[in-house]
Amino acid sequence: MNPFALLQADSVAEASAAAKDVRLSVLKAGGMDLLDLMKEGIAEPTQLVNLRTVRDPALRTIEAGRIGALATLADIARSDAVRASAPVIAKCAASAATPQVRNVATAGGNLLQRPRCWYFRNEQFNCLKKGGSTCYAVDGENRYHAVFGPGPCHIVHPSNLAVALLACDGVVSLAGGERATLPIAKLFHMPDRGIRDESNLEPGEVITSIAYSPAPVSGFFVVKERQSFDWPLTMAAVALKLDGRRIASARVCAGAVAPVPWSLPLVEKALQGVALDDEAALRAACAKSIDGAEPMRDNAYKLKLLPVAIRRAIADAAGAKEGQ
Amino acid sequence: MTPQDAHPISSRGSGAEQIPTRMPTANRPQNAGKTVNGDTSRLESVAKVTGAAKYGRDMQAPGMVWVRGIRCPWGNARLIGHDADAAKAVPGVVDVVVTGDTGEYNGDAVGYLLAENKLALSRGLRALRARWERLPCRTGIDAREAVLSVSDKAENALLFADHVLEAEYSTPVQTHSALETHGMMIDHQGDAAVVYASTQGTFAVADEIASFLSLPRNKFEVRCEHVGGGFGAKFQIGKEGAFAGNVASSLKRPVYSFCDRKEEHLDTGNRPSALVKVRVGFSKDGTVLGGQIGVWGGVGVATRGGDAAIPSGRYEFGVIERSMTNVSFNGGAPRAMRAPGHPQGAFAEELMLDEIATIAGVDPLELRIRLDKDETKARQAMYRLGAEMIGWKDRQPTGSQSGVVRRGFGVGSTSWRALRGPCDIEIAVHRDGSAELRTGTQDIGTGQRTACAVLAAERLSIPLELVSVAIGSSRLPNGPASGGSVTSPSSAPAVLAAAADAERQLMEIVAQQIGGAGTDYRLRNGKIVRGEEAVMGWNELCRRLPSESLVGRGTWDGRGSPYFQKGNSNGVQFVEVEVDSETGVVQVKRVIAFQACGRIICRKTAESQIIGGVIQGISYALFEDKLLDRQTGAMVNPNLEWYRILGANDMPTIEPVLWMDAEQTGVRGLGEPPVVPTAGAVAAAVFNAVGTPVRSLPIRPDRVLAAVEAAAVAGVAKGGAS
Ligand SMILES: Cc1cc2nc3c(=O)[nH]c(=O)nc-3n(C[C@H](O)[C@H](O)[C@H](O)COP(=O)(O)OP(=O)(O)OC[C@H]3O[C@@H](n4cnc5c(N)ncnc54)[C@H](O)[C@@H]3O)c2cc1C
Ligand code: SF4
Repeated sequence: MNPFALLQADSVAEASAAAKDVRLSVLKAGGMDLLDLMKEGIAEPTQLVNLRTVRDPALRTIEAGRIGALATLADIARSDAVRASAPVIAKCAASAATPQVRNVATAGGNLLQRPRCWYFRNEQFNCLKKGGSTCYAVDGENRYHAVFGPGPCHIVHPSNLAVALLACDGVVSLAGGERATLPIAKLFHMPDRGIRDESNLEPGEVITSIAYSPAPVSGFFVVKERQSFDWPLTMAAVALKLDGRRIASARVCAGAVAPVPWSLPLVEKALQGVALDDEAALRAACAKSIDGAEPMRDNAYKLKLLPVAIRRAIADAAGAKEGQ
Repeated sequence: MTPQDAHPISSRGSGAEQIPTRMPTANRPQNAGKTVNGDTSRLESVAKVTGAAKYGRDMQAPGMVWVRGIRCPWGNARLIGHDADAAKAVPGVVDVVVTGDTGEYNGDAVGYLLAENKLALSRGLRALRARWERLPCRTGIDAREAVLSVSDKAENALLFADHVLEAEYSTPVQTHSALETHGMMIDHQGDAAVVYASTQGTFAVADEIASFLSLPRNKFEVRCEHVGGGFGAKFQIGKEGAFAGNVASSLKRPVYSFCDRKEEHLDTGNRPSALVKVRVGFSKDGTVLGGQIGVWGGVGVATRGGDAAIPSGRYEFGVIERSMTNVSFNGGAPRAMRAPGHPQGAFAEELMLDEIATIAGVDPLELRIRLDKDETKARQAMYRLGAEMIGWKDRQPTGSQSGVVRRGFGVGSTSWRALRGPCDIEIAVHRDGSAELRTGTQDIGTGQRTACAVLAAERLSIPLELVSVAIGSSRLPNGPASGGSVTSPSSAPAVLAAAADAERQLMEIVAQQIGGAGTDYRLRNGKIVRGEEAVMGWNELCRRLPSESLVGRGTWDGRGSPYFQKGNSNGVQFVEVEVDSETGVVQVKRVIAFQACGRIICRKTAESQIIGGVIQGISYALFEDKLLDRQTGAMVNPNLEWYRILGANDMPTIEPVLWMDAEQTGVRGLGEPPVVPTAGAVAAAVFNAVGTPVRSLPIRPDRVLAAVEAAAVAGVAKGGAS
């Protein structure tokens, strides 16, 4: 790890200005991801700008429909407001990482954490994402990589929270730049639109909070190889609008399958009008989730998981409805 | 004083009890072993959970220099350039020593770097800018090159078979992943040194490090108070130790050399991978007539050490022709790992037995009962009792389930030689009534310290609180290295002998003071008695010691003894799993682990060994896999994020059953046998649930899903169970 300056920011404006002006300056929230990257020599900032020293309570407030950027995953998971207005978000937060990590990891940092591709995270592999000339995953060990997207980088987006927020039409509020807001759907880009980073934020843009549409009938399902302390193999988040026992409309998003949180409009369309107890129609709709997938050598199993995860997320949402 | 003179321990005194496990009375096997002590926790448990216990890794000394290897990042590469001057220019870097230019595996060291602090170490390594030219590499056993040879003997056996099973079982490289990584801190001061090592062999380290330190044995001490796991990989000092030794002797300064997590995965040994190919014939009822078994062991850059224990010898398999080939590739060399060779063999063997049973249409438990050679009949009893406990009667025939969540049952067996070696023990009894037991051997986390104290207190018939244990130092009396499950069985007789010797001397003193002969008196319940009459209290006797302390000595040569009867330590494990057939996720719900163990000194630590073995076995079955990138030979998961080890949510209910064979009265080791059968039993249970075997570890969701699909296809083909 190289020497770096630490700026304990007092205000978002100060943080934003510092992050914009100083070369290689990086915002730090919980620091869970950033410190890992620095230890492995992948991030080498000369200045860390600590957002957590900004005392503005709005950054930490959680209310129905809005989450402060510095709220921790643990705060979100146990917030009654979130659990009632959008259970899928609370469940997503609760399913990420470990209790220790969730106590420190913030919403903003979770959205903007870097991918977990093991070639990216190992300093010795100078892959495309780090400015090299090859994607090691293509002919290498790709069982946890993306099944969607043309490449040339095949990461899966690491944020659990982003998937749930996408399903709830989340919008981030920004400070320090030209834009005041940006929909989650536009927060990230595919690798062909820029391979070195994953988000569309400009230097100095700070996420202050995340708004979402209420989704009281929403649900979530994640498949993990190991049930403790592990990343999703595949996950699904759904938000339903019901008309009695029928699905009037649905938002369906998947995680760990593509370089960005993955919207599944075909499934959403197919689910319209389907009755919650019509097993065959649900299956048929969920099966559409893998349309257009291009699995790599070792990750085709994700195509079996994805429809299952969606089906179970729908059941979870229906259960949440029942519970009300 | 030999152990023959020391009368065997009885169940008197300090909390002795008959019931070795927490099992409900109704289930308690009749031959559940007697324990000397039931509920004592590890003596150092509070120190461990509060952090007061200091491990080698925790030790630091003023003026200490840090060492780290310069390691090959690829499977096979040549060092074509580096910038030593730039590295040395980094503030705090002391020196760069490059001794070679070829790396034959990821983690292979070609030298080391020294620095005044940890940060300078990593900055120096980066400034060194080692440039490597990658060469072609091999990352494991190539199954296509492993051809099962055909022998007449085996073919003859197959001639009379009703069925022939041909199958290929494979297991990955498993790393020891000790929480405390390998290494040592050498506190070198003037012409003397203390070596704080994380080791399973205090005296082995002393032998090995001596040549580096060039100090006479009376000028240095190896110390090892606590060890954060060894599992077989911590007998030798390794490269990290050699670096430390070199630096300490040349700079005459304290040196800190511990691996980081990455180095720990890469270069401190492993359980080798294995490929087992079988071609076995059996009759209609599942009786195995014989066949061919080939083992290929993936030994990295080593040339031997890859054998897998199949056939284990526990089952009757008729005429088996066996071949074994060590396969070298560009990976770290194996080291002994908890029951070396056995879990990988048992995985293939147990799953194969279930496959045979399924083809023959017989119950796999019944088949084992029939084929098990079990010389003591202990396992026969365990099979029956375990079946009742786990609810074997609820087991559905393999492949018969079609629900989303499918339940499976599996069973596997183990046996272990009761090994032991020489050991010396001293027990000092002080004027204030306290006693200190001294042994140079180490407590690698198993509870060795506690077991020694319990035995000494028991034999001296004084409260446990009066006994302390000095352990893990080359200055203390000689004791065994902790391998082959020998530590307790080797030290127990010596502890008893030392205590008996102390008693003999003490009773002489009593006789001098109040008449009679020493042999007229005995220690009992903190008193000195003649017949039934108490003549003096323990404290009073101690106050009358002619000098500050009295030392009882016990020596045991490791050979024959009344405490040991022949026979292996047998065991059987039953496993229940739930398989989600849509996600491929396996959850182990329950494990019942029978383990014959001889006399139990301390129930808690004994059960803990079994529980730990089972946990490690499940982790091996479901998660662990040292994965080398097929193109570059670099390990892609050299961390504990992607090198998965079972966590709290993956933990089943584990019920250890300590089992006393009537014949087996001595203290037996428990470290290794419980890890042997678990993965095989888990694999058998998954097969039972799913209907098609997963023949490769780890049993990952993708593999389970493939098996579910294969079972569905087979079901349709048979026109059967849909
Ligand atoms: C063992 C382990 C398991 C994990 N498992 C999961 C999992 O299953 N699912 C999951 O989703 N995550 C998982 N994580 C990741 C973890 O959730 C993230 O590392 C964490 O959320 C990052 O948040 P942070 O506040 O610590 O971010 P930091 O590390 O502080 O920041 C991360 C990035 O976000 C930027 N940033 C932070 N806040 C803002 C802001 N307000 N505005 C603009 N930029 C900002 C920083 O500049 C930095 O680039 C796991 C982590 C670990 C260690
Ligand atoms: S998937 Fe992306 S991050 Fe991973 S190796 Fe390929 S280019 Fe690098």
